[in-house]
Amino acid sequence: MSGNGVVWGRVRSRLRAFPDRLAACGAEVRSRQASMAPGGRLRKDLCAQEFEALRSCFVAAAKKTLTGGH
Amino acid sequence: MHLQTASLLDMLRLTRFPPRWRRPPAAGVPAKNVGFRKVASGVSSLGSASPRSLNIFDRDLKRKQKNWAARQPERIKFDYLKEEVGSRIADRVYDIARDFPLALDVGCGRGYIAQHLNKETVGKFFQTDIAENALKNALEMEIPTVSVLADEEFLPFRENIFDLVVSSLSLHWVNDLPRALEQIHCVLKPDGVFIGALFGGDTLYELRCSLQLAETEREGGFSPHVSPFTAVNDLGHLLGRAGFNTLTVDTDEIQVNYPGMFELMEDLQGMGESNCAWNRKALLHRDTMLAAAAVYREMYGNEDGSVPATYQIYYMIGWKYHDSQARPAKRGSATVSFGELGKINDLMSQGKKSQ
Repeated sequence: MSGNGVVWGRVRSRLRAFPDRLAACGAEVRSRQASMAPGGRLRKDLCAQEFEALRSCFVAAAKKTLTGGH
Repeated sequence: MHLQTASLLDMLRLTRFPPRWRRPPAAGVPAKNVGFRKVASGVSSLGSASPRSLNIFDRDLKRKQKNWAARQPERIKFDYLKEEVGSRIADRVYDIARDFPLALDVGCGRGYIAQHLNKETVGKFFQTDIAENALKNALEMEIPTVSVLADEEFLPFRENIFDLVVSSLSLHWVNDLPRALEQIHCVLKPDGVFIGALFGGDTLYELRCSLQLAETEREGGFSPHVSPFTAVNDLGHLLGRAGFNTLTVDTDEIQVNYPGMFELMEDLQGMGESNCAWNRKALLHRDTMLAAAAVYREMYGNEDGSVPATYQIYYMIGWKYHDSQARPAKRGSATVSFGELGKINDLMSQGKKSQ
């Protein structure tokens, strides 16, 4: 189980799937950016709503690929 | 490439630096090693070994990162940037109408410059790097090379030896850049030339800004993820201070498009350019990464969906002083005064007549 770089390889393969899932959420990405450019001071959780939308879309895409026999 | 011990001992000055110049210990190391570092900076006779001992980067970690990167099965696919800069440096070497019997490559990686040069221009090449795997997996080249494991700040060579010193994209991880440049100046022969390439201040600004915005919004604050780079005016001062003459600094911007931020980060790691600054944050949250990728795409993305990353490179050329080099004229040697500038036409026709 613990061979050379097995854990790293596993974690990396999860990370490598990020871009594909991100691609599936294009609309949320755009709305998030729009809300992040208010011109005023950037505070924590200024765009929390948009981020949650992005995140849930991401998780949905991840679930799809996982159940799709990953 | 092979290590020649007999002729190496002529070149190496083991008496000048402590024998273990391979592993200069960094700060944050247990107390028993601290004495080492003091000895190293004490023995050095260069007057400007700074008492404040700049320590921004973890050199041990940088060596590990470079070793790891050089050992990857797919390392060739991360070579593109260093190949390109290496070939541009080789261009500059060719531009100089001279041959160099003995050359040194400081921080050579897997040898990106040497493979673009030919045997007529450079007789023999010394490749130095802190990562042994990089030297072991070096690219094929026609010039005879000798590989030496050495840190850029602690060059183990005698003075006035090399005709040419090159350095491609490795001095930006050096802690004490003035000292490294002074050492390079030292090992150069008079009328020798140093050609170097460094990453400049605008490098990866898109990544830096996206991470900063995302981290501020997600976590309420941000920490530096891209290492600090030298400013172009400082480069000129540094080279001058190190004793170089006839300086030239020019800048180049290479923009590479990536499918997204994650691919960019993966490539940076594959190149061995991961952050190793002491003040780096060890953890980057998934949420922050996701947010940063979104910001990156929206702020800087191209129409086709890819994102650009800018690499700003500063090329510097400096010469070691020699009597044959051009010098400014002596004070008081002027034959014409500025006040006579209005009569320049007469003066020029006078000159022509006397010829």
